[in-house]
Amino acid sequence: MERLLALWIETLGEERPDGSTLRDYLAVLDALMVLCPFTEPVRLGLLVLPVRAPSRFFGGETAVLDAVRQNVRDLIGCEPSLGVADGLFCAELAAREGVVLPVGGTEPFRRSQPISVLGRKDLTTTCRRLGLHTVGSFADLSPAHVAERFPTPVLELHRVARGELGELKTQRDATLARRLRMERGETAAASEQMGFFGQRGAGDDRAQAAAYRVRQRLGVDAVMVASLRGGRAPEDRASLVPFGSPEFPMGEAAPWPGQLRAPAPAMTLRHRVAVQLIDQGGEPVRMGSRGLLSAEPRSLLFSNHVRHEVVWHAGPWPLVERWWAIDRRRAHVQVVLAHGEAVLLVAELDRWWIVGVYD
Amino acid sequence: MSSFRPVTLAKSRMLPLGEPWSALVPGGGLRRGSTVLVQAPPGSGGLSLALSLVTESSAQGHWCAVVGVDDPGVVAIADLGVDLRRVLFVPRPRGAWAESAADLLDGVDLLVVRAPSRASHGVARRLVDRVRERGTVLITLCEPSAPWPLPVDLSFDITRSEWATSARLDARYLTVRVGGRGEAQRSGEHIVVLPNRRGRAAAG
Repeated sequence: MERLLALWIETLGEERPDGSTLRDYLAVLDALMVLCPFTEPVRLGLLVLPVRAPSRFFGGETAVLDAVRQNVRDLIGCEPSLGVADGLFCAELAAREGVVLPVGGTEPFRRSQPISVLGRKDLTTTCRRLGLHTVGSFADLSPAHVAERFPTPVLELHRVARGELGELKTQRDATLARRLRMERGETAAASEQMGFFGQRGAGDDRAQAAAYRVRQRLGVDAVMVASLRGGRAPEDRASLVPFGSPEFPMGEAAPWPGQLRAPAPAMTLRHRVAVQLIDQGGEPVRMGSRGLLSAEPRSLLFSNHVRHEVVWHAGPWPLVERWWAIDRRRAHVQVVLAHGEAVLLVAELDRWWIVGVYD
Repeated sequence: MSSFRPVTLAKSRMLPLGEPWSALVPGGGLRRGSTVLVQAPPGSGGLSLALSLVTESSAQGHWCAVVGVDDPGVVAIADLGVDLRRVLFVPRPRGAWAESAADLLDGVDLLVVRAPSRASHGVARRLVDRVRERGTVLITLCEPSAPWPLPVDLSFDITRSEWATSARLDARYLTVRVGGRGEAQRSGEHIVVLPNRRGRAAAG
């Protein structure tokens, strides 16, 4: 579970009728995004960010906490309550108490909480009658007994209590992201495809009608529209969403250093194809931890044993992003095969996939 | 006195082509109602070529649709100069590629189609008739092993495809035979760069 810093801002927890709550919340979110781009809006009054990476950058968790506190104070003039713990569930509780749990301190903290923090009245009442007053005593029940006695949603709470799940479903406000976009002025109407000079022309209506006809024939996700978003690899930057879906394209405003340069593959595979790269001696080529290949690739082997000779390759270009998460370590390699076909490969933990074809 | 008829300019019957095609194609554009064939072996640039034919029209506000291209490379398409806001993708039309294409003909100005298997004569005939009637441009993308069953107005045949490389893939040189009916018959073989270092199409 990721170590998280949660901010609980009391004054933003209740929505004021003049709409200033959302405005202030957005200002705080934007400021924290500068400190850490992985900051997430959870619900009004509550924000959360992974603390490990920024604390390396700022030189310790205390420095991050100070920076966050200073930012919030400057922006809205009130003191946030900060807490650090593993997982969103405990991070919120820690924030409400204003405690920074040491590494490994989350488990005893969670177990000592009263049962009511799980937020279900029937569960609280029943457990209290059974003499189970803390989250820890509830966690010690076997899942089978819990499933016998309680409805299914409680099983999820039980998993949270045992520390198998990091957060409660009820913690996040699903409508918040949309409301923040509206507050930013990115109304839902802006996601509609606009015609020349931003007006909808007759051509747009015709195209829309045609898209609806195909959708009726083949199903709702048959017609897709594309947009670009930020990212380094071509397969990350492409966003293909069903036509008419309310999803708002992220836009490409920010520069992305280390972006794979043009030309990009004309096909980026939605389901990447597992392959093997083989060297001269018939051994699989591996991506070393220093971003070098173990040997020159000589052939590409598909899972159905079809083999293609590799005549040229370039790379690897490691993607250094959230490098502390081991499964995020990726590298790209371009390969030209014997009959002139060029493909883009990605290596992840010593395994290879085709992600794009330069058709 | 003869009755008045609305005047249609020759220009409005043409959809514009971008560089380098405008110099290589008779009339410098795609005639509305015509069928264009792009024929290439798999993986040798056929998709890029077909998409490069719609860039200029797309930039000028025409809608286009791409049917039967399973996994469109959105970044490459945007790099080519296609305006993504006016492109509809039908990546997996399954058995109904011809029907989907016919549905879309009423709504878009250019239609790129890659049939999942060899198109039958009857299906192709109906589609081409509909294209002529609606004044759309049909760009059909075929492999030499599954050719388009009808004669076309304009054809682009990739005969050779070669990558120029440095420390990475730089550019691809395509040898393209341009042909077709009427004026297009006299066209010849050309070398184009597609994609070049910026992901666009350029003269060789």
